[in-house]
Amino acid sequence: MIARSLKWSRHNLFAKPFDILLSLTVIPGVLWLIWQIAGWALTVAQWDIIPQSLRVLMIGIFPVDQVWRTWVAAMIIAALLGAALGCVFAFRGRHAGGLLLVVAVALILTGTNDLANILLVAALVVLFGLSWALISRVPAVRKGLVPASFVGLIAIFAVMAPPGAGLWGGLLLSILLTLVTAVVTLPIGILLAFGRRSRFSSVRWICTAYIEVMRSVPLIMVVYWIWILMPVLTPQLNLADVVRGMIGFTLFYSAYVAEYVRSGLQAVPRGQTEAARSLGMSEFDINRSIVLPQALRVVVPPLVGNVLDIFNTAPLVFIIGLTDFLRAGQMILANPQYGDRTYEVYSFLFLTYFLVGSLITFVARKLEKHLARGSR
Amino acid sequence: MSTIVEMKTLNKFYGSHHVLKNIDLSVARGEVVVVIGASGSGKSTLIRCVNGLEMYQNGSLLVDGYPMPVEEDRLLGGESELAAIRKGVGMVFQQFNLFPHKTVVENITIAPMRVHRKSKAEAEATALRLLDRVGLKAHAHKYPGQLSGGQQQRVAIARSLAMEPHLMLFDEPTSALDPEMIGEVLDVMRELAADGMTMMIVTHEMGFAREVADRIVYIDQGAILEVGKPDAFFDNPQNERARAFLARVLKH
Repeated sequence: MIARSLKWSRHNLFAKPFDILLSLTVIPGVLWLIWQIAGWALTVAQWDIIPQSLRVLMIGIFPVDQVWRTWVAAMIIAALLGAALGCVFAFRGRHAGGLLLVVAVALILTGTNDLANILLVAALVVLFGLSWALISRVPAVRKGLVPASFVGLIAIFAVMAPPGAGLWGGLLLSILLTLVTAVVTLPIGILLAFGRRSRFSSVRWICTAYIEVMRSVPLIMVVYWIWILMPVLTPQLNLADVVRGMIGFTLFYSAYVAEYVRSGLQAVPRGQTEAARSLGMSEFDINRSIVLPQALRVVVPPLVGNVLDIFNTAPLVFIIGLTDFLRAGQMILANPQYGDRTYEVYSFLFLTYFLVGSLITFVARKLEKHLARGSR
Repeated sequence: MSTIVEMKTLNKFYGSHHVLKNIDLSVARGEVVVVIGASGSGKSTLIRCVNGLEMYQNGSLLVDGYPMPVEEDRLLGGESELAAIRKGVGMVFQQFNLFPHKTVVENITIAPMRVHRKSKAEAEATALRLLDRVGLKAHAHKYPGQLSGGQQQRVAIARSLAMEPHLMLFDEPTSALDPEMIGEVLDVMRELAADGMTMMIVTHEMGFAREVADRIVYIDQGAILEVGKPDAFFDNPQNERARAFLARVLKH
């Protein structure tokens, strides 16, 4: 064992003079950094601020007596995410262990010690696992997933709306924004991608123009424009800031989804369309049943990456006055009483973003391997 | 005998490149016509015109009683005959072109269910009968990727037959196959011919062509140079270039 690790380090760390130099400077540097951070985290930092302000971080300024609504929303989100995962990944026994680990990390990280909350978090994860297992074991249910996710999103809106959409915030808002954008951009993106290949030049030009315009301007620009335009265009609707933000994100990211889908469509061999045509199938049937399923299979990994992009750009909604996860952290620090806890709060934010982000990339990478292996 | 395909002075261009030159050819119902010629001679393009996968610019083409519109009309949306023609004309490709995300049975049933509005049970019964006929009933629920090339091509034939075509087009059906698999596909085609199916076949298998064809069409540089009975054509070709071509391919 020791001999092997010695051999490994000689091959990988100390093979050439330059390697030795690099290893001798970088390794101690990294170790020193870890030592410093760990020392601060374990001795200096006052982590009690995280459990104390956890509610604000998670749901912003949502009224305390209405918190059950956010739990219901979280349950629906967990069920939908589990179902989405089940479509591409079979649930196995060992995955249950992974989920337990997630619960443990979440509880430790947030310092939750209240029994009710522990049970609720556990229920969330169990629901996630159940719907994952159900969808992966019973493929017949999958057909209902797209309608179910739209119904789920509407249900979330319905249950969260009564106290006022202006009160949505925190991590829940970030996740909701990501989820709504990811779900709604998919059909729009698919339509745009097909539109860009349409035989009718007018459709082709409109779709191309839309995609190119959206891809040429910054996200904040689009979000801000929609925010100031919506009240002018639909004065009677009086749309909440949250909804306007979601519309902006959706319009922007639809263009990106369209480009991913288009690359998938191009990857489907011409022979597939020709074979389907020679069987007398209509162009609509060919696109829906032959071309699109094969195209989507190719672009699932980049589309998952796109979801991560959406999640990581969600903090930009502060520009239209929304309180997402990052902004919620800053709000806590605005309280003079907590002025000296800057590093604690930002560390927590960093770690949470990092964990969610790496979870998504992990799933994307697994998916890529999984889809590359199975040609079915 | 009635005619199922009738081409009259059909011309096709790729830009300024003249691919098919004044083609006159008619195929009778029940007839097996084999088109031979060197690579790039336009033989594949010729049979791809018959079900409209390729467009032609002028001349006329009558398939199964319907006039195939010329390119100009198709670009202006005059494609109503196209769907009718394709329902009655099956095609088998060099690269099989099975749908990789569907099982063998789903490959065969999708078009009858979508185009002829058949029930799932009815379409599956037909599919299994056809799979039995091509000797692949045991593979009904596999995916194409799990089958050999010869098996995939036989599934492709069954998929076309499920639409009950009046005419079958074969575009080099054995060219992408390993030598030991060519026989199983040709056997299926032989049986089809014996059952009286009308077939237009592009192939490089000269022995098979001679055995199964009612007529041989020799095409070179986009023009039909000779049409004849197989024995007459192979034993005593009249055209100079046909003679040279046969000398080249029959040497082996």
